Amino acid sequence: MRTLIERGVFLAFAVFLLTVPWVIPKLVNAFWVSVIAEILIWSLFAASVNLLFGYVGLLSFGQALYFGFGMYGVAIGVATLGLSFWPAFGLGILASVAMALVSGIFAVRLTWHYFAIITVVFSLIFYFLAVSVKPLTGGDDGINFTLPPTFSLGATQWSFADATFQYFFILSVVALCFYLMHRLVMSPLGKAFMAVRDNDVRASLIGLNIYVLRLVAFVLAGFLAGVSGALFAFFGRYASASYMFYHVSGEAVVWAIVGGAGTLFGPIVGTSLFIIIREIVSTHWEHHALIVGTLAILAVIYASKGVVGMWRDWLVRLDERSGAAVKSKLRTEP
Amino acid sequence: MDKLLLLAMNGLIWGLIIALIALGLSIIFGLLDIINIAHGDFFMVGTVLAWATLQATGSFWLGFLIVPLIGFLLGALIQRIVIEPIRNAAILSIVATFGLSLILQEGVRITFGTTPRRILPPISSTFPVFGVEYEVYRLFAAAVSLAALAGFFLFLHRTKLGTWMRAVRYDRDTAIAMGVPAQRVYVLTFGIGFALAALGGVVAAPITTVEFRTGVDILPFCFMAVIIGGLGNLPGTAAAAVLLAFMEGIIQSFADPTLARISSLVLMSVVLLLRPQGLFKGARR
Repeated sequence: MRTLIERGVFLAFAVFLLTVPWVIPKLVNAFWVSVIAEILIWSLFAASVNLLFGYVGLLSFGQALYFGFGMYGVAIGVATLGLSFWPAFGLGILASVAMALVSGIFAVRLTWHYFAIITVVFSLIFYFLAVSVKPLTGGDDGINFTLPPTFSLGATQWSFADATFQYFFILSVVALCFYLMHRLVMSPLGKAFMAVRDNDVRASLIGLNIYVLRLVAFVLAGFLAGVSGALFAFFGRYASASYMFYHVSGEAVVWAIVGGAGTLFGPIVGTSLFIIIREIVSTHWEHHALIVGTLAILAVIYASKGVVGMWRDWLVRLDERSGAAVKSKLRTEP
Repeated sequence: MDKLLLLAMNGLIWGLIIALIALGLSIIFGLLDIINIAHGDFFMVGTVLAWATLQATGSFWLGFLIVPLIGFLLGALIQRIVIEPIRNAAILSIVATFGLSLILQEGVRITFGTTPRRILPPISSTFPVFGVEYEVYRLFAAAVSLAALAGFFLFLHRTKLGTWMRAVRYDRDTAIAMGVPAQRVYVLTFGIGFALAALGGVVAAPITTVEFRTGVDILPFCFMAVIIGGLGNLPGTAAAAVLLAFMEGIIQSFADPTLARISSLVLMSVVLLLRPQGLFKGARR
């Protein structure tokens, strides 16, 4: 039984999600619409870190690899193979999922520090490959491509060239992915993930296959990273090896943890926070990385549960103080 | 053939410098259980401080004294402020040190600027070997690195502080029960780790360029040495650094440097998967 406060907050939040993002293009100017579109894409990327760290307990420092594969899948699909929008989108996602499966088979044999290191190593190997195989990837310069239309119906076409259409398309894809993740977390598979996160020995004793669960999570995280990379390729109309470097992975880890690892909306909160700071600060002061670094350190020292985690704790305390609820329910992290 | 020998020699010398830096990474990991993403930037700060010392005093040699000292103090300070509060959440240390890395890079960018600079070798003479004029300074750099490595191992095995460090690494609780001030040992370790990287920076400054990005290039290499040598296995780390740089030098003689880097990364993945305790000996943590 939810308490009154929780129900109120939940309702307000649901109303917010169902209305505000959809009227954004009416509220703010074109610059901020594009910033928000970018936030949505990077949130999805941070969500892929969160799925691994927050729900399965594996800290990946190499998710940029799958982001990069999504990007290159789209760019090579359009520029080299001459594919149209949807096949290129599919190729990007397929490339990153396949890569996640192959590298995951090796990576999830390790845990903790070793897992973090091997994921970085894999991403570095392909970063250096992407830099050196110039004919395929364009090296440092990357690949620019002309945008194919998303839908075409006779003479009328919808494509990312229309900023409003671009925004709504990205919003729909990201919203769909987050909805799928919500369903995943609520499903028995999601509960199994959390069991592995909390205590892998006990989880194995009740008959869960730890290795397979971690591999499944790794592939799903690769899928999320791939979708965000493919979207980002269409959004920027190019792909470049620099997005596969470990700094990109590291930033996503910071976003996810500052927002709140192990919560569905944590990555969105963290990503929004950092990108909005970057957009506001960088026009006045070019050294916004100082703020990112300081916030990352402060967050792990003072708020290791992240913004959303603290907010939850605060709600719980509020409930206890009002004494309205007889608390006996088990808290399951959604 | 001459070219091969030359690149192999370059690799060997570079490997000794890397060994110095990687040793710092390894003791920080072995004692504090911290994956230090900022370690490459500790090295970078060392090169920049060497440049600053040269500008301020006109003497490069003074840097060998001053820079490791500043590095030690900075390291001790960072341990107190950033690392100590998160000692119980080791995995989060990756995030904290990543933040630290951003701060150090951006801090240097603000004060030092973005233009890469070069320091002329303080020993300008050369001697002919393998068909080229080889810089004497490079040999000197190798000698300094070797001396520092030897000095560190002597410190670790012959002094009280060194014994404390080994004791805390071996069994923290027993060490504390025997009266070892673990807290101070942590500060000391992090300080020494920074100092070693900074010393590596001074030694390498005339060989490489001085800019805020050098740490990013060197970090993967240090990690490779630490992993292949075995996490926490100090002699293994030093040996692996020399071996890797030597190997990359040889591969570079017939293929491009990126391929050399990729092959060492692949070697590192294989070691991680098959022998996570490192190539040498059993686990010595």
